[in-house]
Amino acid sequence: MKNSKKVFILTEALLAVMVIAVAFIMVQEKNGKKLDRISVIVQDSGDNQWAAFQYGLKMAAQDLEVRMFFVSTGGALTAEEEKSLIEREINNGAAAVIVQPVPGSEEMLQKMANRIPVLLTERTSDESGEESRLPVVGPDHYAMGAALAEELLKDYSGNLSGKTLGIFSKTGGSQAAVERRRGFTEAIDNTQATVLWSVSAPFSEEGEVLLEAQPTVDFVIALDDNSFTMAGEYAAANNLHGALVYGIGNSTEAVYYLDTGIAGCLVVPDEFNVGYQSLTEAAESLAHSSYKMQDRTVSYTVLRRQILFTRENQEIIFTMSQ
Amino acid sequence: MRNKIIGFFKINKSRGIQSTIMLAFSVISISIMLILGIVMYSRFSTLSRENTIQSTEKLMEQAGDNLEDYLVSMRQISDAVYYNVIKENDFADQSDVIQRGMDLLYEANKSNLRSIAVYNGSGSLIAAEPVASQKEDPNVTRQGWFIQAMEKMENMHFSTPHIQNLFDDGTLRYYWVISLSRMAEFTIHGDPQIGVLLVDMDYFSISRMMKQINTLNNGQYYYLCDSNGEIIYHPRQIQLSDGIASENSKAAAGYKDGVWDETFEGEHRMVIVNTISYTGWKLVGVIPDSTFTHGMINIRYFVVMLMLLMVMTLTIIYRVVSVRISSPICRLNDSVMGYEAGEKPEIYIGGSSEIRYLGHSIQSSYEKIETLMTKIVMEQNERRKSELDALQSQINPHFLYNTLDSITWMVEGGRNDEAVFMISQLAKFFRISLSQGRTVISVKDELQHAESYMNIQKVRYKNSFSIVFDIDPAVCACCTVKLILQPVLENAINYGVSGMDDCGEIRVTGKLLEGCVILAVADNGLGMSEEEVRFLLTDSSRIRKHGSGVGLVNVNNRIQILFGKEYGLTVESEPDEGTTVTIRIPAVEYTEENRKILEKGHIFNREELSGRQM
Repeated sequence: MKNSKKVFILTEALLAVMVIAVAFIMVQEKNGKKLDRISVIVQDSGDNQWAAFQYGLKMAAQDLEVRMFFVSTGGALTAEEEKSLIEREINNGAAAVIVQPVPGSEEMLQKMANRIPVLLTERTSDESGEESRLPVVGPDHYAMGAALAEELLKDYSGNLSGKTLGIFSKTGGSQAAVERRRGFTEAIDNTQATVLWSVSAPFSEEGEVLLEAQPTVDFVIALDDNSFTMAGEYAAANNLHGALVYGIGNSTEAVYYLDTGIAGCLVVPDEFNVGYQSLTEAAESLAHSSYKMQDRTVSYTVLRRQILFTRENQEIIFTMSQ
Repeated sequence: MRNKIIGFFKINKSRGIQSTIMLAFSVISISIMLILGIVMYSRFSTLSRENTIQSTEKLMEQAGDNLEDYLVSMRQISDAVYYNVIKENDFADQSDVIQRGMDLLYEANKSNLRSIAVYNGSGSLIAAEPVASQKEDPNVTRQGWFIQAMEKMENMHFSTPHIQNLFDDGTLRYYWVISLSRMAEFTIHGDPQIGVLLVDMDYFSISRMMKQINTLNNGQYYYLCDSNGEIIYHPRQIQLSDGIASENSKAAAGYKDGVWDETFEGEHRMVIVNTISYTGWKLVGVIPDSTFTHGMINIRYFVVMLMLLMVMTLTIIYRVVSVRISSPICRLNDSVMGYEAGEKPEIYIGGSSEIRYLGHSIQSSYEKIETLMTKIVMEQNERRKSELDALQSQINPHFLYNTLDSITWMVEGGRNDEAVFMISQLAKFFRISLSQGRTVISVKDELQHAESYMNIQKVRYKNSFSIVFDIDPAVCACCTVKLILQPVLENAINYGVSGMDDCGEIRVTGKLLEGCVILAVADNGLGMSEEEVRFLLTDSSRIRKHGSGVGLVNVNNRIQILFGKEYGLTVESEPDEGTTVTIRIPAVEYTEENRKILEKGHIFNREELSGRQM
């Protein structure tokens, strides 16, 4: 008798616990799961060059059901400003950050990485070992520089003798610009082309004065989108004295200069995938605490005027137009 | 494993009525509820699935209508430009009218239009609205819309989305358009010419429409493709072209309007297809299975919760019902078990009439059994007593005859003192033999009886043997069955010392050992063979010819009747050395009360006896 009473009480208790558990799950389900917030900090966030990157981020956020917050930045950032922005984002509930590193921010980013997952869109100039390096999602900048040089050589059948070049970069301090420059210069090392000038204007400084002050060259090699569009603009206004622009860029303006014949070749990094994959990587690290973020290298495309409107290239321009 | 199963059934077998009722009710109701839950869930699931499909169909119908309206309006613009503006005027002298007409139509539909343009057969721009400079070399004749229009002159052609590669408006931007092109006939200087009328629709008008229906976050989505499966709009368009995602648009393009089941990349999904008239475009709604599941999760939890609550309630109800049903039966059972355990026979009578009747019936049976049992016990006791009496009565006649014969010789021989001694010993002998009809006497009396007997026998055997009593005084206060030593002594005389000359000795010892009285009669006579020893306690006819007629068998039986099988005689004998007969009886203090208890003839039980246990 006593035994059956015990069984009865136990059964009822067990059922009650199950009811409470189901009710709890139902309430949780009703409240919906709180989406993780991933903040993205890049320099001059309003610039057109980020359109494809931002579109990639947005698509990944939709696919992976995370909240993406693209931090508005007016222009160039210092390491200190970047640090305060990251801290502000962490305080606002960011679970991970995707950052375009500025020169001198290596140590600060390493420290931040101890607090939340930090993913970079470019490599830093940090000399520390591979192990401690923060994960990077981006194109192979060296290869892009080299590809640009190859395209230039291709246009002149490998013979650049007597041609003069001017290399222009507006993000001179960044590791990406350094690698692109290295890739390009190493590829044209054995040609007779002469690099008359090589100008690296820090992002913050106005590059116009620098560009105008340079001697006339046959080709202006623009190593980033800003310098490409600036060079294009100058060429359009005939301020480059007939120099043809070759460069790396990822904005519709850059495409426009190629389309109008001001530029000879445009190497376009797949910024959509930089955005998509970096957010995927960050979201993955949030979903699985044991997950270690990996480097991911995205592709790049060489755009020429003749093939600008092929179906594949139209897709690239589509991402830039968003 | 097999043992476990058997064990389980054994447990089941011995389960109480309450548990059985509970278990049966629970199994039945839980089964019913499970079936009910599953049926309910599947019904809900089907309904929800149907609802989702229906609402999707409605939404798609609406979206399809909107899209169609939009495309019709574009066609109307094209018609209006063609029939009302281009065909009515000559480009040579009425270009202003044409431009104005085109401008009017463009301005009226600006929000959906990117441009209206007329090209001649060689791809040269004739007129365009809004007015913008043409790009250096747009290579119009190689563009898809131009080729299509020139190929099938009678039709209007809708292209897939593409970048408008015609004008340079100085904004450094590129526009996504869907081109509606048709072959157009126009006149320049009165010469009819063939060219292409192009209406470029803003792609974002269509993508906006599609985005409006693609707001659900449950995995369901809509896309638009042309009749070849080329994507016009897809919420994951770039992922598709990048290979991050994929879409079964080629198959969807082949579906007719309706709802289709398909499995794509291992996932089962419903595909709803709606064809946009004239263009042949397909508006496709995709509902993956996970969408249905997603919507059903809460229903699932709700059903589980409902079932759990029902099980809880039913368990309480069953408990109450089973207790009410089983309680009288259990109480009846308890009272029966109590009775069996030796309690007073108070059988529970209560509950329903059937159980009440059962109680009455069991109680009367028990009362009858009780009466019968008492009767049987009494009869048994009587039988034991009479058996004891019968055994005791076997003792007397022969011995009395011999003794009286000896007394007669003594009197005749003038040995009056000896005769007096003999008579007095005989009197003592018989006083104890009779003992007022008692069966149980003290060991002291028994020893006295033995002594009287030996005194008589010594006279009869002319003191040819000696007798020694070595008795622990504590033994004297114990109970014994009467007349147990005399037959043993008789046996010792007859088979031990009777044939010996003066050196025969009989030693009677008494002591307490481990709660027992041990009385031993040892002689130094002829002794016996093992065979004879064996017969001594089994063959009752063997002794009659010599002795008083009471053999050791008789003694052993009487002790065992009274005290139990663990007591009685043991005989040890060695030929030419002597025989020792040991009597073992329990040490019970001789009191009137104990005597009466023992004489009742019940089976010997120490706990029943009062006083000192020795």
